[in-house]
This record gives sequence, structure tokens and C-alpha cells, in this order.
Amino acid sequence: MKSYQGTFLQKCASTAYLALHRKRLLFSLILFFSFTLAGHAQNDTRVTVTGIVTDSVGAGIAQVTVSEKGTNNAVITGADGKFTIRVAGERSVLLFTSVGYSAYEVRVGKKTQLKIPLQQANKDLNEVVVVGYGTQKKASLTGAIATITSKDIDRVHGGATVSTTLAGKLPGVTYRMADGRPGGSAAIQIRNYGPALYVIDGIQQDEGQFNNLAPNDIESITILKDASAAIYGVRAANGVVVVQTKKGSIGRNNINVDAYAGWQNWFRFPKVLNNTYEYLYYKADAEVNSNIHVADPTKRTAITQDILDRAKSGTDPAYRSFDWRSFILANKNAPQNSVNVNINGGTDKVQYYVSGTTFYQNSQQGKEYMFRRSNIQSNITAKLADGLKVGMDINGRIETRENPGVPGLDDYWLARYAVLNNTPMDRPYANDNPNYLADMGSKQQTNYAYLNKRLAGVYHSDWRVLQSNFHVDYDIPGVKGLSVRGLYSYYIADYLLNNHEYTYNAYTYIDSTKTYKVTNGSTNPWREREQIKQINVTQQAQINYSNSFGDHNVGATVVAERISSRRTRNWIHASPVSNSLPLIYFPTADQYQDSDDKQARLGYIARVTYSYASRYFFEASVRRDASYLFAPGYRVGYFPGVSAGWRLTEEEWFSRLLGNHSPLSDLKIRASYGQLGDDRAPNGTDPIITPYSYLAGYNYNQGTAIIGGNPVTVSRDKGIPSTRFSWVKSKVTDIGIDYSLLNRKITGTFDYFYRKRDGLIASKNDVVVPLELGYNLPQENVNSDAQYGGEMSIAYNGNIRKVLINVSGNFSISRKKFLHSYRPVFNNSLDRYRNSGESRYTDIGWGYKCIGQFTSMDQINSYKVDIDGQGNRTLLPGDLIYQDVNGDGKIDGADQRPIGYGYGTQPNINFGFSIGAAYKGFDMHLDFSGAAGYTWYQNWESRWAFQGNGNLNTIFKDRWHRADPFDINSKWIPGKYPANRYNPGNGHSDYNVQSTFWLHNVRYLRARTLEIGYTLPGKIAKKAGMNRARVYINAYNLFSIDNLHQFNIDPEVIDDNSLEHPQSRVVNIGCNLTF
Amino acid sequence: MNVSKKYFYLFAMTLVLGVTGCTKDSDFLEIPPNSIIPTETMFSDPALVLSVLGDLYNRQLDFSNFDQGWGSFADFSESLISDDGAYGYVQNTGWGYGAWGVDWKAAYTYIRELNLFIERDSASTKLTDADKARFLAEGRFLRANYYFELTKRYGGVPLILHSETYDYKGDPTYLQHPRAKESDMYDFIISEAEAIKDQLPANQNDKSRASKAAALAMEARAALYAGSIAKYGATTPAVSLPGGEVGIPASKANDYYQKALTAAQSIINGDAGPYKLYKVLPDLSDNFAAIFLDKSSVNQESIFITDYKALSGRTHSFTTNNQPFSVTDEPDDAGRIDPSLNLVESFEMLDNTFAPIPTVDGGGNPIYYDHPQDIFAGRDARLRGTVMTPFDQADPYRYKGAVLDIWAGYLLADGSVVTSGNAADQVALPGTTTKVQVVGKDGPINGVRYHTQTGFYIRKFIDPTIGSGRRGRGSDVPWIHYRYAEVLLNAAEAAFELGDPGTAAGYINQVRQRAGFTTDLTPAEITFDRIVHERRVELAFEGHILYDMRRWRLATSVWDGTATNLSDLRSNIGTAGKRSTQPWGLWPYRYYNPASPNNGKWVFREVLPSKVTGTNRFTLGNYYTFIGDDVRAANPKIVKQPNQ
Repeated sequence: MKSYQGTFLQKCASTAYLALHRKRLLFSLILFFSFTLAGHAQNDTRVTVTGIVTDSVGAGIAQVTVSEKGTNNAVITGADGKFTIRVAGERSVLLFTSVGYSAYEVRVGKKTQLKIPLQQANKDLNEVVVVGYGTQKKASLTGAIATITSKDIDRVHGGATVSTTLAGKLPGVTYRMADGRPGGSAAIQIRNYGPALYVIDGIQQDEGQFNNLAPNDIESITILKDASAAIYGVRAANGVVVVQTKKGSIGRNNINVDAYAGWQNWFRFPKVLNNTYEYLYYKADAEVNSNIHVADPTKRTAITQDILDRAKSGTDPAYRSFDWRSFILANKNAPQNSVNVNINGGTDKVQYYVSGTTFYQNSQQGKEYMFRRSNIQSNITAKLADGLKVGMDINGRIETRENPGVPGLDDYWLARYAVLNNTPMDRPYANDNPNYLADMGSKQQTNYAYLNKRLAGVYHSDWRVLQSNFHVDYDIPGVKGLSVRGLYSYYIADYLLNNHEYTYNAYTYIDSTKTYKVTNGSTNPWREREQIKQINVTQQAQINYSNSFGDHNVGATVVAERISSRRTRNWIHASPVSNSLPLIYFPTADQYQDSDDKQARLGYIARVTYSYASRYFFEASVRRDASYLFAPGYRVGYFPGVSAGWRLTEEEWFSRLLGNHSPLSDLKIRASYGQLGDDRAPNGTDPIITPYSYLAGYNYNQGTAIIGGNPVTVSRDKGIPSTRFSWVKSKVTDIGIDYSLLNRKITGTFDYFYRKRDGLIASKNDVVVPLELGYNLPQENVNSDAQYGGEMSIAYNGNIRKVLINVSGNFSISRKKFLHSYRPVFNNSLDRYRNSGESRYTDIGWGYKCIGQFTSMDQINSYKVDIDGQGNRTLLPGDLIYQDVNGDGKIDGADQRPIGYGYGTQPNINFGFSIGAAYKGFDMHLDFSGAAGYTWYQNWESRWAFQGNGNLNTIFKDRWHRADPFDINSKWIPGKYPANRYNPGNGHSDYNVQSTFWLHNVRYLRARTLEIGYTLPGKIAKKAGMNRARVYINAYNLFSIDNLHQFNIDPEVIDDNSLEHPQSRVVNIGCNLTF
Repeated sequence: MNVSKKYFYLFAMTLVLGVTGCTKDSDFLEIPPNSIIPTETMFSDPALVLSVLGDLYNRQLDFSNFDQGWGSFADFSESLISDDGAYGYVQNTGWGYGAWGVDWKAAYTYIRELNLFIERDSASTKLTDADKARFLAEGRFLRANYYFELTKRYGGVPLILHSETYDYKGDPTYLQHPRAKESDMYDFIISEAEAIKDQLPANQNDKSRASKAAALAMEARAALYAGSIAKYGATTPAVSLPGGEVGIPASKANDYYQKALTAAQSIINGDAGPYKLYKVLPDLSDNFAAIFLDKSSVNQESIFITDYKALSGRTHSFTTNNQPFSVTDEPDDAGRIDPSLNLVESFEMLDNTFAPIPTVDGGGNPIYYDHPQDIFAGRDARLRGTVMTPFDQADPYRYKGAVLDIWAGYLLADGSVVTSGNAADQVALPGTTTKVQVVGKDGPINGVRYHTQTGFYIRKFIDPTIGSGRRGRGSDVPWIHYRYAEVLLNAAEAAFELGDPGTAAGYINQVRQRAGFTTDLTPAEITFDRIVHERRVELAFEGHILYDMRRWRLATSVWDGTATNLSDLRSNIGTAGKRSTQPWGLWPYRYYNPASPNNGKWVFREVLPSKVTGTNRFTLGNYYTFIGDDVRAANPKIVKQPNQ
């Protein structure tokens, strides 16, 4: 760079600004002149036009952009649909546009009061869609992009987080919400590419920030699925979720209130025996079968017919029953509620959207398990001069999780485990006296009576987050269509966790002395505090150009972007001497962790668009990215993308071909290809490689050694530096069709995509070095995989008489295949069969094929294949028969075959459909979503009886058993499951391997949101001082049609023990009020 | 200033503040690491070298150690693991050829780091000569000791003594090294010990770093192993390889035994510092347990340890995992290692004889005891120092005022049992209405985890310090790699094998006297069976049994896969080849018969816990651990183990 003497300001501008080093001077000049011109651009003799924009039932529509065509003059309607705009004169044409509505043009003429009816059009071609670093009309899109707006988001009141609003809503978005705890999120991915990138108001963010926006504050969520994501470059290879928050609009100041309250009940959860007689009966059956003589080695079971009889009679207090499931899941109708108040309005100088939201949720497993979040959003834009706007968008939240201080990593776990682990003979209180927690022996921790803040302690965590974006837009006069934009964003997130697990006593009632004796409990206090501070800084400078020359439309965007972050974390653990000490003192502390990690990435982006006569569209972009993760010299990657579209229906010959009566009103073919870079792990958000892998030296702080009685912090050699790799490259091809039929009443899309990833890192192993070398050869960009599939969507908007109807549906399928590793080496053909991934689907599980169940001891005794590895001597009727695939007479690893789609994966197939209707003040919506192509495994509590000496999952009532459990010669009665054993664990051939008997390829279709609303007639609302008042009742997860209901588990659950916190069925009532 | 100028400056300043970072791209991306230390810096400061060395010490290998958790203590019918995830130890019918192996790649990564340490220390110009020499000797000690661990498992392995680097030229054959002979491995260990012993301090108080005694103890044990493999390998000629990677010629036995004896005697004679047996506490059982607890300078028995320290971040959970259930600090953690009756009965009577635990008299009638402890009376003090027995008032739990509440139920006059599957459960006895406790708080209960299932808990290594059973604190009992009693037993075995039972008796009797034996064994009474027996009871749970049984080639007899019955259990106690394929238990019952004079007394039953469904079967292929296909595929010069 040439040296340039000048002010500090000029120096900085000269150093990095926009990287347009050579054009700096010209650019400054343009800026200067444009300001000068702007100062003189004010003039008068204008006409003021007012009006109201209404929908088809006459209600005002907020947020409609009213622009004077051919100028930059625009306003936005208020919440009541009203607007005021000053235009040049009678010849001015006003253009009304709004997401979700057909655009409307009107010439002002002599009218100064306008009433504009807009037609709803979910998928209309003029809809404005957010694309990378800008917006485009849907008609001109060339990429695979899907959008959902606040109308659809606001309807879902099923969960705490934004991800839960997306089930089945967007083609190409896969959805699985395995864990439904308070504050929980669904796992969403775009086309199962891996974790997506989230961009909120132009700023790259993490999934947590996305999920914990207030849904009310979201204007739209757009999914970039193909090369259209390439513009976001670094970390965009798995697709991009772009979120726009609501902005202020010109007009009257509105106060909007959206409030609801709901009641949650677990959708499903395993059932257990709740009476002692049944418990003892099934236990005796299982003990006799397993030949395990608990307590008394002289017998198969200590339970006798006499005991069963006494238990059944219900009069013997020794055999009372306790219903743990009801006791633990007593918090029925667990509340959730949310209140959002936003103020929204402005003048042509200043527009604002200021909003506050609170959300509260607790769980059926106890009202002390809770989540609370408060959000604020303040988006303010001021027009400083014609064409110059500055704005500040602030988004903040406090996210609180609080629950009893439960031992174990996941504090929600023990309460659910208690449902399965405690038997009807266990009782929570000694002598049933609630003042004395009962000693439950080795099940002490699942005595739910202690899982409360009084006895167990308190876990409390807060995220406090503040995001502020400062942005400047300047339309450069004199050069039509040229504008610049600067954005600076500062994000700070603060996490504070305080957890104190108390010591406590558990008692035994001594019958002989009528006293309570401390016989159990915990003497181990656990106190921890964790503090995280995350600071992200994003800087962007952008130049946009957009202009038309006759039928030629050209556009260009150039962006420079720098993103840096810093995360500091510390964690301390102590064992306080008393439960009543809230602070941590040094002498009781024994562990401390400290880290300070930074990241930096930067990119330069250029994009050009060209279209001709709304018929041909072309777009090309390129990014030059650099990431701190790679060795100097390997940091930079270039990622180009191109796309094109062709609207056949704009061709005269095509129209002629179709004839006049064709139902086809619009048809566009589009294709895109792009390369995207990634510096994250292939299927995660962690860095692709440990930072500083390119450096040699020693890692400090690899543990502690006690040398000479003193602790020494130890270090370890880092190994051979890894310098021989760089970006993973994703190459996405997408071919799509956008169509509309019947005068655009029906619209839809088809997409096919193929993403190939090259340069997945692995070691080159064609040169096989001895393991004795002592290090792995450094990883290089050598492997490849592919993800491919397609999507389709269709929507109908219309009306039957006065009933407005919209129906829409979508379907997506996506599957991943590993392609090639670098010259793989296999030791033998079995090794190749089991361990090769070459050109195979990923996410396949291995297991035995179950070809039936034994029906008699005779069959077992004469069976030729050794099923259990012990000559079948452990088998009983009902036990599983595995296929001896290789015919060697024994079942072992060589008989395993691919079964299922892997553990905990996203569904390969997702679909959803939605029906809406409105008539006068009434409206109704039904949203369904479903998925298939994923697997749930039965294991642990859902695979065998009495797991961990616990209670019996009632699914095992339907099992092979003897007519008389005490008579081992009595007749066998068939059932679904093998004969129960008592807590067999992995010790039996039925249970110790995956097999087709225990895995289930899941399919479900569930009613997500059913909502009925009523909007009060305007006059009545007015009397109450409101512009608009709507009340609704809304149900979430009302029912599900699936193949896991028989196990009493939610179809989206992952945990194979079936004890995951399920989703809830929620009923809400709420209102939307506008003042 | 006019309006437009004002905006211009505002706009420009905004850009300056918000958009440009005023740094070059390369500077922006350059983030200095905050926890990586360059190699040159590392080897310029002895405090930093110790930081590297500390990690190398932490990563030592032993058959058992506290960082590996409790599982490695469990096998070989010496105990049963009372944990739902661990019944495989007693349900398998044998061991895979890969059992007891190590992660080969991780092993050689560690060796490479040791080689780098030795090379970098040698190359350092900033350290004092004294520091360099001691660090160097410590690195060589750790390397030799690690190769010893590999040799125990695999026999000969590639003996790599320099860090190697692949040159990317496509031909890795220069990196392929064949397995050394098994004898070469032992020769290397012995010669390294000789080379470094005088570079290491003869300081018995710095036990966590290598010392002269540690080097000699390693040498003695290695030479003893080599000698016994040479001698007893002759009994299993199939367990050998033509290249000598496995197996040592019998002719070398005496030479190795002599080296073992010399090295051990060097310690015994005080050449490496004043080591001696720990004799501090008046109660010999408590004294025996204290060997493993006492880290003060009073303890001159432990030679080389891996140390732990409370409130330092380096503690272990052995006490948490294995403390008796009734006094556990954690409701969900206790009692995993339950020693077997097989082990308990092998502790001798104090008159130097062997006898089963007397549950029945000569007529087969149950013996009624006034106190449950009476059945263990008159035995080797090491029994109650190693194992917690029912109602023992041994030291570890006196601070809680507890005795171990181990009893299985009431035995009624008709021979039936009143008990419960829940610990400490209360049930009304026949003919009564008041509920009384019918089973011990500590068990035994079949199949119920964290309670004993054999009737015993482990005492060795259990930390009596308050709080040591808490997960949040943990225990800081050290792991002892080498201790003086083993040196004595090594010397005794070497002397015995060299035909000098008099010397052997002298050493072995020292160990026995400390265990309470008042009558010394005469030289004529020193037999191979005695040598084997003494090691089993003295060194129980210290990670010796597998390698001892392997080097004596006894493993295929002791663990022959045949199920055991009561008479097997009670016979041949104290003989080297006694079958022990299933861990038995001993359950106390309280006799309930108000009409009988024996009412309230105790009877005992031998019980095969019902989780024990397998039998331990050790095959010829188990004598040397399988070397993985991946290892041999990557280096074709590595030959396969015999009999696999």
C-alpha cells in the first residue's frame, strides 16, 4: 500500500475500508458530492395522500410499504393499515407491497383519501424475499429459498424457542424435537446438511441466539438452501437461516399486545405398574425365568403364592401400593404463558419498533423445574437527510433456568428415571410421615420427595444477552441506484450458573422403638459456579448498485466483512461445609477452570445480478474468505456461485404453445451451482480442527500431577503440526421449478439438489506408516460425501363465497452418502464389509435380523444354530431367533447387517400441510407436520423388565410367560416380548445386541397447531378503546398418528431408554389487541 | 459548518468507528495462543520441564491404578463387581485374546514423547547439568518401566529409542521395526536400570519421582519375570515364537534370577536409602491397611508412588466407588469390589496351616457363632487389613461409629430364611407383629448393586479420611507401584529358584512376621506353593495376579474354565495350582429359634452369588495379548502371537 499522509480518519479509510484501496479517492468524491446535492434536494408543492390498506375482510393491514414509484419516497402503514404520504403530484403512482400480499399500483389522481384492498397471496411472485445482503422479488429468485413470516410463526405456542415454530412449515427444513423440557429447542437442519448458519438482522449468530428471540419480534425467517447461501461464505455450507426482526412503520403509533396462557401435559411417557400385587406377580414371573434367587439363594424367587394372595387382598399394610408415576407427574396442566407488548410507529423522519416480551414455562415433572425469558427489541431508524438513514437495532434478553439442585449432569433426569426406578412397594416418606424423607437404599437418589429446592438445593442459570447493531444507509444521489451501507454490531452474552446441591438426611422408621433414625442421605455437597462471557463483533461495509435500462435490470453488491469473537469462561467447584452458605470460599474449593478463546474470520464478497424483461435472470457471486483456524498460507479460500432462471411463461412462443386456456399462469426454471467453504467439523459447529494445530510446542494445563506432595500443572507435546489442509468445500447444485396455476391461486415449487463435499479431512493412508511411529499423519483435505434429495411445495389461496381458504403442503427428502475416502485400506473382506463407508449411505446401524421367536422348549433344544453363544441353554420360549446369515451355525458379529438409519439422526423425510379458513370475524388454522426415515431403538428400560431393579414398564405385560409362574412345567402362553427376566441387563442374547426386533423406523403425522380465533367487530373494539381485538384458542400437539404410541413415547424421542423429557400437549388461550 | 458537511463527517466517522478495524487482514486473523509453550521455552526452565515430566509420570501404565477406575481390580475370581454394568466379569466364559491389551498407538505416542523428552533434555543448553542429568534419568526410567509394562502384556515389542518422523517420500519401510526378543526387552530394562540408578537420588522421601530404589525395584521385578518365564516357559513349549519374541530359553533362568536377587538385595542392604517394612500401628490389620494410606516419612515401605492430593484437582474415586454401602457418602455409589471367599479363605491360620472358613463341623452340621467375627478368628492379620468382613470394627469406619451390617437374613428352625431384597428392610418374624430388620444394611443381596454380594467389602486402598468418599472431594490415597514388601518377596523367590531356601526363608519370614505369624517358616518349608501363596495374599488387588500367573504358566490351571463346587472350594487351599474360576461368597445368617440355646447366634453359608454364571477360562492364547490386525497390517514385520 502506498503511504498516505493525512488525518487519522483518512488513514483508516485508506487502510482497510472496503478493500477498495485504489478507488478510495473516487469514492470519497462521490460521497462528498452526493451529500452536497442531498442538501439541496428539498423542495415543495407536494400533495399529501392518506388512506387505509385493507385485507379482503376489511381489516387494516399493518407494515405495508407504500412507495411513490420511481422515487425513494416510501412509508409503511400503521397497525390499523393507515398511511400518510406526501407525493410529487397527481401523476405519481403509488405502489403497495407487503410480504404475503399481491402488490397493488394506483395512480394518485385527484383522490387524497385512498382505500386499497390487497389480495392475500402466500406465494406471490412480487413478494419480497430476503436474500444474502439484500432482498429480491420472488419472481426474480434464482436460488432455492423458502420463507416463513410472522403470520405463521406467531400461531405456534407449543414451545419456548423459535425452532419449535418451524415444524413442517418450510420445505427442506428437517425437524426433530426430542427433548421438550422448559426452554427446550427442536433440532432443525436444512436438508440435513448439518447445523445451519443463523443470520439475524444481517449478523451471523449461534443457534441459541436464534432460538431465544421472542417469536413476536420476528418479521420473517428465510432459508437459503443452495448456492444462494454462498454469499454468506464462511460457515454457510450447511445452509443459512436468515431472520429479520420487525421494523417500525410510518403512521399512527400503535400499541400491540399479544398474550396467551397455556396448560401443558406430557404428550406421552412410559407407564409402569402402580400396584404391589401386579409388581410382585410380574417380578416372580421374571425371577423364576431368570433363575436369579434374589435374597435367598435356596429359591428361584422369594415371592410365594401366599404373598401374592395377601398383596391382592389389599388388607396387609406390608403390601400397600404407591403410585410413583402420579406422585412424580403431579404437576398436571403445567403452565406456560407469554405477554408481548410492542409499540410501533414513526414519522417519515424516525421509525421505531420497541417491544418487550416475557415467557414462562414449567414442566409436568415439577413446578420447580422452570424456564423464564424476558426479551426486548428496539429497532429505530432515523432519516437524517434525503437518502441517508441511520439506525440502531437492539435486542436483549434474560434467559433463566431454575430447578432443584439435582445430582448428575442433567438435573431433569432423576425425576423421570424415578418413575421407572421406584417400585410400588417403595414409599417416599418414612412411616408415611412427610417430615421424614424415606431411606430408599440404593434408590435414594430417585426418591422424588427429595427432588425439590428445600432438600436438594438450587440450580440457577442466567443468560443475559445484548445485541446492538448500528447501521447507516446512504443512497448516493447523482448515481441512480447506487447506495452504500455500513454496519457495526456488538454482541455480548453473559452466562452465570450457580448450583448448590445440598446434603440431606433420609430416615428409617424403627418400628420397635417408634423412632426415626437417619440411615441414608448425602454428605456430599456440590457447589459450582460458571461464568461465560461471549463477545462477538461484526463489521460490514457494503456498496449496492441497482438500475434498469429499458428491459435490462442490473445489480451489484460488494461487501467487506470482519467477524471476531472472544469467549472467556471460568468454572469453580467447592464443597461447602453447610447448606446455608450461599457464597464460595477458597478453602473449600478444589477445582478451577479458566479459558479465553478468540476467533477471527473475514471475507470479501461480490455479487452481480442481471435480468432481462422479467424473463431471464442471472446471478453470480464470489467470496474470498479467510479463517484464523488455518495455517498462514492456507487461510484464504475462494467460493464462487452462479445461478440462472428462465420464466418460460414470459416467452411468447411458450404462451402460444400453451394456448389461451392453459391453467399455467407462471413457470420458471432455475438452476444454481455454488461452492461454499466450511471451517467447522463436518456435522457440527466445532472448529474443523483444534485451533493452533499448525503450531508446534507444548499444550499447557493438561491436568495435574502431584510431585513431592505439591500439585504441578502439566504439559503435553502437541504432536506433529498440521499444516497440510484448508477449507472443506461444499458444492451445491440445485435445479428447481417455480410454478403457479389458475391465475396464481395455486403456486408451488419443485427442487432437486445434490451437495458434494470435497476436502473432508482425514489422513492419507495409502502410505501406511507403522503405528509405532507414534503419531497420526497430519490430516489433509481428502474425503468426500454427498447429500441429495428434493423438495416440493404447493399452496392454494382462494375463497368459496365469503370464506377465505388457503391450503398448503410441502414434502422434502434428503439422504447422505459417503463417497470416497483416500485410498482406503482394509485388512480383509469382513473388515471392508463392516467398516467401509465407500459409496454407502451414512447413518446406518448394524444389528441382527430377528426372524422370529421360539415357541417351545422342544424347538429350542433341537435348534441347530447357537443363538446365545452358550448352546442355547439360556433360552426360553419367546426368545428371539436371529438369522444366521453366514450359515456357520452360530450367531456372532459376522451375522450383523445394516439395519435402521442410525441413532438420534434427523428424519430423512419431512412433510407438513396447513389449512386455513376465515369467515367474517372467525379464522381457523390447522397445521400438521410429519416425518419418516429415522430410527428409534428400544433399550434399557424399554428393552428388558425391571431394569436396574426398578419397576416394570407396562409394555412388558404382553410377554411370553408360564400359565403359573411358580410352576416351571406349566404351559407357555405366547406374548409379544420374550419371557421377562429380572433385570437381565446385557447378559442375555435377547438384549445384548441391536436387532430388528428392537429398532423401529419411525413415521408420524402430528397435529401441530389447531387454532380458532375471533376478531371482534371494529365498532365493539373501538368502544373498548382498541383498534383491533382478537381472541383465540389454540392447541399444540393435540394428537399424533405414529408407530411409537404402543411404547408410550413421543415419536420424536431419541433416548433409547425412552425416558427423555417428552414434548407436551398444550392448550392455550390468548388475545391480540391493538390500541 | 453546513448541513452536508456535518453529515459527511458523521457518516465518515461512523464508518471509521464501526466498519474499519484499522488492521491488516493478516493481523486481524493472527490470534496468539494463550496456553501453548514453544519447545525451546519449555526446556529452558526446570519448572517447565517438570510440567512436561509431570504429564509423563501421570501417564504411566500399571495393571491396576486409580485413574483406570475399579474395573481393573475386579477380575480373576478374586472379587465380584456389584454393579449392573460389570457382571460380565463373572458371566464370561473366558477372555478374548485381546484382553489386557493397551491402545497400541497411544502407547507408542507416549514412547515417542518420552524419546522426545530425552532428546530435548539432552539438547538443552539452558538447564544446569545436574537438572539435565536427573531429568534424563527420569525419562529413561519411565521409558524402561513402560517397555516393561508392554513386555508383560505382549512379550517382545518394537524397541524404539529415538523419536521418528515420516519423510513423506512414500516408502515407510524404514519406520518398520520388528518385535524385539522377549529376553532383549528384559535385558534392556535391566541395563537401563543399571545405567541410571546412580543418576537418580537415593531419597526415600521423594516417592512420586523416580529414585535409585525405584530403578532397582524395577530391575528386580523385571529380572524375576524374565527368570520365571525362562524356567516355567519350559512347561508350556507351545507358548513361544521361533524368533524369541515370546519365550526365553530355559538356560537363561539362573542368570536372570541372580540379577533379580542382586538388585533386590541392593535395596534390602540400604544402598538406595533406608527402606523397611511399615510397622507402626499396634493392630497388625490396621497397620497393614495403613501401608497404603500413610504418605508421611514414617512410611519407609513404599518406594515409588503415583500421588494424589485433595483440593488440588488430582484425586480419585476408588473410595467413592467401593466404600461400604451403609456408610457411603453417596447414595448411588458404593460397594463395587466385593472380595471373594476364594481369596478370604486363602489367608492362613496363624499356625502356618491352611484351612477353609469353618461353616460346618466335621459332621456337616452348621457351627453357631456368638459373634460373626468369630469365624475369622486366628487368621493372618492381612485378611482384615485387605478385606472388610461382617461386623468388623476395623479402623476405616470407626469414625462413623459403624460396624459393617453384613448379614443375609434370619434362618428359622425349619431351615427357611426370612429376608428381603431390600437392604435393611423390616419384616415381622413368624409369630410376632413388630417389624424387625431382616437383612443387613450392607447386604448381602444377590444382584443388587452397590451392596456386597459376596459378604465382603474391600479394605485395601479405602480412605478413612472424612469426605474422601464424596464425589466432590475424592480420595488422595496414593497408588504404590513398588514397595519394600514386594522387593523382599522378589528376593525370596529369586533365592528360592537359585536353590537357596535359607535366604528365601529369611526374606519371606520378615513379611510374615509383620502379618502376625510368630512361627517362622523353616528353609525346608519354603516351596513353590508357599512363594505363590505369599504373593497372592500380600499383594492382593495390587495388580500382580495376572502377570504372576502368566509368568509361572499357572494361569491355564487356576482358571481352567471348570465350574467349582463346595468341596473344590474347601480343598487344596494354599496350593499354587488351585482352581479358582468363580468368585464365591460367604453369607452370615442370624439364627431365629426362641426355643433353642442357639437363638440369636450366627451361622454361615457359602454361596455362589447368582450373578456368577460364567467360569474363567484362560487358554494358551491368553498368555500373550493379541496384537491388533491394524498394528500388524501397518507393520508386516510384527509377527503374530502364538496359539491365537
